[in-house]
Amino acid sequence: MAYWLDMDSFNGILKELSADNVVYAPVKMTGKGAFSGTDLVAYREISGVEQIEFKEKSRFSPKEIVFPITQTLLYFTEEEYAVPGTGEKGIIVFCRPCDVNAFKRLDEIFLRNGGRVDSYYRELREKVRFFVIECAESFDSCFCVSMGTNRADGYDVFIRAAGGGFLCDVRGDLATLFEKFGGPAEMSLRFIEENKTKVSIPESVDQSVFGHGIWREYASRCIACGRCTVSCPTCSCFTMQDIFYEDNPNRGERRRVWASCMIDGFTAMAGGHGFREDHGDRMRFKLMHKISDFRKRFGYNMCVGCGRCDDVCPEYISFARAINRVDALMKEAVENV
Amino acid sequence: MLDINTKKLMKNAYRITKHRGITALRVRVLGGGLDAGYLDVIKAIAERFGNGKVHITTRQGFEIPGIPMEKIPGVNRLLAPVIQGLEVEMGVGIADVNGGYPAAGTRNVSACIGNSVCPFANFNTTELAGKIEKLIYPNDFHVKIAVTGCPNDCIKAHMQDIGVIGLVLPVYDPGRCMGCGACVKNCRKVASGALEMVNYKVRRDHRRCLGCGECVLKCPTSAWTRGDQYYRLVIMGRTGKKNPRLARTFLEWVNEGAVLKVIGNMYGYIEKYIDRSLPKEHVGYIVDRTGLPVFSQEVLQGIELGSLGRAAGFIPFGGYTY
Amino acid sequence: MSNPYLPFRAAIIEVRRETAVDFTYRLEADMQVAGGQFVEVSIPGVGEAPISVSDFGDGWIEMTIRRVGRLTNVIHHLRPGNSLFIRGTYGRGFPLERYAGKDLIIAAGGTGLAPVKSLLNRYGGNPGEVKSLTLLAGFKTPADILFRDEIERWRRQHRVEITVDRDDAGGWPGRVGLITGLIAREPISQPENTVVIVVGPPAMMKFSTLEFIKRGIKQENIWVSFERKMCCGIGKCGHCKIDGAYVCLEGPVLNYTTAGRLMD
Ligand SMILES: Cc1cc2nc3c(=O)[nH]c(=O)nc-3n(C[C@H](O)[C@H](O)[C@H](O)COP(=O)(O)OP(=O)(O)OC[C@H]3O[C@@H](n4cnc5c(N)ncnc54)[C@H](O)[C@@H]3O)c2cc1C
Ligand code: SF4
Ligand code: SF4
Ligand code: SF4
Ligand code: SF4
Ligand code: SF4
Ligand code: FES
Repeated sequence: MAYWLDMDSFNGILKELSADNVVYAPVKMTGKGAFSGTDLVAYREISGVEQIEFKEKSRFSPKEIVFPITQTLLYFTEEEYAVPGTGEKGIIVFCRPCDVNAFKRLDEIFLRNGGRVDSYYRELREKVRFFVIECAESFDSCFCVSMGTNRADGYDVFIRAAGGGFLCDVRGDLATLFEKFGGPAEMSLRFIEENKTKVSIPESVDQSVFGHGIWREYASRCIACGRCTVSCPTCSCFTMQDIFYEDNPNRGERRRVWASCMIDGFTAMAGGHGFREDHGDRMRFKLMHKISDFRKRFGYNMCVGCGRCDDVCPEYISFARAINRVDALMKEAVENV
Repeated sequence: MLDINTKKLMKNAYRITKHRGITALRVRVLGGGLDAGYLDVIKAIAERFGNGKVHITTRQGFEIPGIPMEKIPGVNRLLAPVIQGLEVEMGVGIADVNGGYPAAGTRNVSACIGNSVCPFANFNTTELAGKIEKLIYPNDFHVKIAVTGCPNDCIKAHMQDIGVIGLVLPVYDPGRCMGCGACVKNCRKVASGALEMVNYKVRRDHRRCLGCGECVLKCPTSAWTRGDQYYRLVIMGRTGKKNPRLARTFLEWVNEGAVLKVIGNMYGYIEKYIDRSLPKEHVGYIVDRTGLPVFSQEVLQGIELGSLGRAAGFIPFGGYTY
Repeated sequence: MSNPYLPFRAAIIEVRRETAVDFTYRLEADMQVAGGQFVEVSIPGVGEAPISVSDFGDGWIEMTIRRVGRLTNVIHHLRPGNSLFIRGTYGRGFPLERYAGKDLIIAAGGTGLAPVKSLLNRYGGNPGEVKSLTLLAGFKTPADILFRDEIERWRRQHRVEITVDRDDAGGWPGRVGLITGLIAREPISQPENTVVIVVGPPAMMKFSTLEFIKRGIKQENIWVSFERKMCCGIGKCGHCKIDGAYVCLEGPVLNYTTAGRLMD
């Protein structure tokens, strides 16, 4: 069912939903960009639709809602430990189609990989309902069409900001609420059907390209800052940390924090032994994970083509171009056989 | 029969050159930035009245040499749009834009390019340069002021009577920190070693922090973000024959209001203590004579230092004498 | 909802000193273990680390832990009566069915002896399961030799060859030289019927494996055990991934046909 709502009626819905839900959306935070005079678009709890940034792409993805950057796993005293709860409320996430698809990738790792379920992730994930923001236009760096992630399914509401209000396609039990606040409308869903950036995913990548010179080039360019993986909606790596509180050394916590295969120390073992010290090897490892390794396990690619890694790389390394270069190398290899 | 009042000529921002009867005009370029269109005016003056050359000064102005002194009124008329655009429109009180610059003692307020371009800059330097110019110009007292976007000090604020350095208070959200250590390592390497890892999270020692904002730039997760804007004021740096030296910190972590007020107050201090038996006395030498406490007492009148702000009680200026 | 990260408390029943830096801990724990698998051992507030189960029996497991850092330093101060926190077991162990009736050679470097210890004990008790068993073990110096008592017992049951890289203190009656030398000299009568396990530091595993291949052992008859940084043990944290393989899931014991193709 589709409805049209003006700003006030939409806020009426948000107000009702807020009783039982925490609502997250991309928010533009003035002056919070890294450079002076720039803004940061990232996910925050909101109370009104006017807070939502509908135009710009968020620098960070909504993954932090279900996979927080820092998450306490256990609290402990000398004698016992306790698992923190996540509260009773549901979670509503306003995000774009690629990000909805990214959650599916996170689900593979946290709910299925290795046959064990990550209970911390599941507890938050099960509460999530998606309010999909329609992409009016593709951003320059997006390549969702190439990745087949331009369409979103599994949402409760699909929203188009139109004429000072919102046109919403509503599924499931929320229809009653929308009916109460909005008027009936017609809506046909629109998805981005073409991006400026296009990638061609190699059918298979084998180790014949591992020794190629492009990785040496990336080795000289990449500074291993990890921005690409941190902003990626599908990167799911983390590290464990155990601490005792400074003000109460008898108590402490075990927590996990995000980790990145691009950042030093990811493979470090006792005695200083590490693997993939070379930044080009890290770039290759990341790329293989995104467009090959994950697919071998789960049947589809990890990367959803959101383009954030390209947007944030301080060294102007384009991941999309890297994919295309590897694809060209593989095609060359096939021709030379 | 050339009869020139050299004092008036110099106040009009022309100078006495080694060539008799020939002068040079110094054009103020506030904060070092101007619309390219003004270059046409500079070019026209140089070609029509000067010798066709333009010299770029250390204080970000243009010096147009080779101008016969009797052409000054014509030059000033041609200059009017520059004074209108770069001074009057910035709020500087100049009654007659056709008469050339009304004063030259207080020099052009220079500024680095600031946050319109530079990733390190903590604020809009040109804007602040404009506010300062509005406050202190026209004035005959010999004062040099520069504004720089961050402690890299690309404008060499440390060589000025007053150097204004932009700071930002980094704000840390431990929940967003993934403990990558990039900020800690970088602060140690390029700034002040104000950061350390404690229990896998970062601790900032405010006493050692320069407010450069590098940690914000380095953080991949935006655990560090920009907090309030502050300034460091370094004072009494100078070149010259007597005791050249770098400016030292007088105020740190103060807001813009305090910066402007201190600069304004400084003119009152000069007024009160300048040695009028000399043709001119730079403010730095006045401070040498009166001592810092007298200077501080005068310029800190009515200043709110705020919760973070600090003023130096004693400054070992150093430098050297030839 | 079951929480895979929740450890349980396991009391330390016995501590044995192997070398100055390696101690064996016997814990009271009722777990299903296959030789070669590991557990995540932790002390809340200090840290968690993957450690191989070196031996196990009814209601107990043993681990041999080398002191190398934050957590293992603290573990080395624990005594019987203290406890450790454990979760697991994780990973794939040795596929015993593939060794049945074969000549089995185990090449272990340093602490690499720990993950194969349960295997040596098992075959000691059930010698009929394999046609023959040979242990080739290399240590840095005589002071680094682990499981001295067990080695003496194994000598009575299997062929055991020990070598040390250097004998700085002097007085070591045995062989001096790298383990690859032992492999080169090892009489292998039926290479096609011989299966091999190689466990140890990365360089030792690489060169030992190449040596076995040179000696005619087929790649599919070689198993190695990988060590990687691990934070979860259950395929979530991503640290242990090499190429497409998660060492905590598909390993740590891997057949060489897989392991040899993994590239960092
Ligand atoms: C499958 C497997 C089996 C192992 N079996 C044994 C064993 O039987 N006996 C033994 O002594 N050691 C074993 N190790 C190595 C052991 O895990 C490390 O020595 C231990 O993590 C060091 O922890 P630490 O806190 O004392 O050292 P630190 O250097 O302080 O370690 C810091 C962190 O780095 C990580 N780390 C460091 N080294 C390693 C490593 N080699 N492997 C994985 N993570 C590491 C851990 O996450 C640790 O929390 C095994 C490792 C793996 C992967
Ligand atoms: S790899 Fe880049 S484009 Fe692909 S999902 Fe991650 S951030 Fe987006
Ligand atoms: S690309 Fe790297 S950080 Fe991202 S999920 Fe893969 S291994 Fe983890
Ligand atoms: S963002 Fe760019 S420089 Fe940083 S790790 Fe990724 S590819 Fe390398
Ligand atoms: S602002 Fe500069 S000096 Fe202060 S903590 Fe950050 S990097 Fe260090
Ligand atoms: S750079 Fe950011 S994420 Fe890394 S340690 Fe510093 S605050 Fe934490
Ligand atoms: S140890 Fe975490 S994925 Fe293997």
